[in-house]
Amino acid sequence: MNDVLIGLIVLLPLCGAGLIMLGGGCWPRRVTELLAVLAVASATVASALAWPLASGDGTTLELFSWLQSGPLQVSFAFHYDRLAACMCLMVTGVATLIHIYAVAYLHKEPAVSRFFALLNLFVFAMLTLLLADNLLLLLLGWEGVGFCSYALIGYWYQKDANASAGRKAFLVTRSADLFLLIAILWLFKLTGTLNLEAINAQAATLPVATVTALGLLLLAGACGKSAQLPFMTWLPDAMAGPTPVSALIHAATMVTAGVYLLCRLFPLLSLSSTAMAAVATVGAITALYGAACALAQRDLKRLLAYSTMSQVGYMFLAVGAGTVSGALFHLLVHAFFKALLFMAAGCVIHLADGEQQLAYLQGVARRHPLLLWPLLAGGLCLAGVPLTGGFFSKDAILMATFTAGGQYFQILGGLGLLAALLTALYSFRLLYVLCGRRQLAPIAHKLPISMLWPLLPLALLGLGGGLLNLPPMWGGNLRLQQLLETIDVNLHPHLSAELVMAATAALLVLTAWLWSRHRYWRCPALRPAGRMEAFFLRGGEADRWQEELLQRPFRTLATAWRQFDEEFLGGLYRGAALLCLQSGQQLRRLTSGRLSHYLTAMALGLSVLLGWLLLQLLQS
Amino acid sequence: MIVPLNHILLVAAALFFMGLSCTLMRRNLVMILIGVEIMLNAAGLVLVAGSAFWQQLDGQMMVMLIMAVTAAEVAVALAMVVYLHGRTGTIDVNTFKDMQG
Repeated sequence: MNDVLIGLIVLLPLCGAGLIMLGGGCWPRRVTELLAVLAVASATVASALAWPLASGDGTTLELFSWLQSGPLQVSFAFHYDRLAACMCLMVTGVATLIHIYAVAYLHKEPAVSRFFALLNLFVFAMLTLLLADNLLLLLLGWEGVGFCSYALIGYWYQKDANASAGRKAFLVTRSADLFLLIAILWLFKLTGTLNLEAINAQAATLPVATVTALGLLLLAGACGKSAQLPFMTWLPDAMAGPTPVSALIHAATMVTAGVYLLCRLFPLLSLSSTAMAAVATVGAITALYGAACALAQRDLKRLLAYSTMSQVGYMFLAVGAGTVSGALFHLLVHAFFKALLFMAAGCVIHLADGEQQLAYLQGVARRHPLLLWPLLAGGLCLAGVPLTGGFFSKDAILMATFTAGGQYFQILGGLGLLAALLTALYSFRLLYVLCGRRQLAPIAHKLPISMLWPLLPLALLGLGGGLLNLPPMWGGNLRLQQLLETIDVNLHPHLSAELVMAATAALLVLTAWLWSRHRYWRCPALRPAGRMEAFFLRGGEADRWQEELLQRPFRTLATAWRQFDEEFLGGLYRGAALLCLQSGQQLRRLTSGRLSHYLTAMALGLSVLLGWLLLQLLQS
Repeated sequence: MIVPLNHILLVAAALFFMGLSCTLMRRNLVMILIGVEIMLNAAGLVLVAGSAFWQQLDGQMMVMLIMAVTAAEVAVALAMVVYLHGRTGTIDVNTFKDMQG
């Protein structure tokens, strides 16, 4: 087994993107589609074949030296360890299925080479982020996925709303990236290196206050990419992009980059209990906020967007509670079932001819058994119905939060439970609307088969995802936790506590089911929104707060500054110019044009000069 | 030297001031040019006198140079005077005030 495989994982999608960018216009679109799918599929094969390289401390492959300047030594190197390997397999696998789905999804689009080039480029950037050996390379991938997200949200850029949604996503994430950049520069100043392992090794030597500040900066950076409070406003608008993009970038992969960053730097982060508590707080509050907003949404894709935000909040909660394996477990399972839900939503929207409002989508999924069952599986996973993947992963996180110690984490755990209840509620609402018996929406289209079969493996993975990290109580051996033992804080909760936890979660799901059955079974049609519901329908007025707190002061400042510039500075320059003009007007009278005047002036000047010389002579 | 240096300098100064006043007073372009020539000759006279006084040839060489340059200058200046006369019909300097600011 050689190390070249690791390079191939990253470079194959890049080659795909490059080829499609250069030659996309020259060959038929079949070739473009095939190339895009092949590039990602071969990357999946490569990362599966490279799995043995991840054992132990992992394998590092240095391609070339990137920057060399004094103490700054940055190499273009990939580090393949277990954390990266798990993520790589997930990203490439899900990306392959979504690529296949996208081929069918965009079959009516006239030109798709830009789409597939960007999608492949995104996979490349995401893999760079995952495999980066140092923080600078990680930042390259980080910004790369941000750019691809921007370009793909605004893929149908002729519509103004789509383009501005892309811009919003880019600007909000960029402003959060600033914190990450500060953290990276600070880490370099403190440790003199950008290598992730070296930084984690040196972390213990740093003072706690510094680590806390660094942790908070990293958290802010992660929040931007992962759409956590307070940088979450871009994610619901990002749904303007094509559905495969929402499935790949804004559900399965890119939004989990923040969690991955925190997991990567977990040895550093875990040294500061304040930073850990902050991470957990952000996660718990976002989980609750996202779930509450999702419950009120009336647009299918926006509902899923808020749900994603909420689920990523759980992952943050897991990191804050100190369980990297819990975060990764939920990340993987969530990637499977959320990608599945988004793709199923794409099918539903396709069937209803582009309609996204839930009120017009009632019972659409019933038309296709191949769509109904995967959608049901995804919804049940999201709800956390016992024995599905989502049940185990969410349970592990809540368990870890309750056992993390301290009253504060108990409160956060309570918030997590409440969010779990809301999650189950909106999942059942979604299922009742889409799979309910009432059939209102006419079916306009047929579904291509290649939009349906990628749902099946994801449904199986989502349902069986619990096997990845099955707790001993259920006869499992915590495989994922053992894989990640090098960085994880090992927790061994009591068996009875685990039992209580599982029972509580099951009870919550049952409550939610009964409640939503009572509320949505008879009339899934959406009632007029109450005041509370309207508040959460608008995302808790987050956009308005952002407008009031950030944009308006900024605009006021900008207007004031422009006035200062125009009135004061401009006045200063205009005054100086006027002075010059006036004095020039006065001086021009001297030039009479008469030769005699000039000659006289010359003689006078000469005599003055001579007189002065004479004076000098007399004095000396 | 037969003539004392002072006398020559006095004559030269008188000559220079006559030339200068001619240049300043007259309105006729040709007369202004003549005034300039007279001033140049006054300067030449001083140079020759100095050359004789210090028994050095430098001053005389300088005068030869001035003569050559003056000849050229006068040729050009007179050509311009002829041209101006041809264009406007007069050589009164006060008619030429196109350069007024």
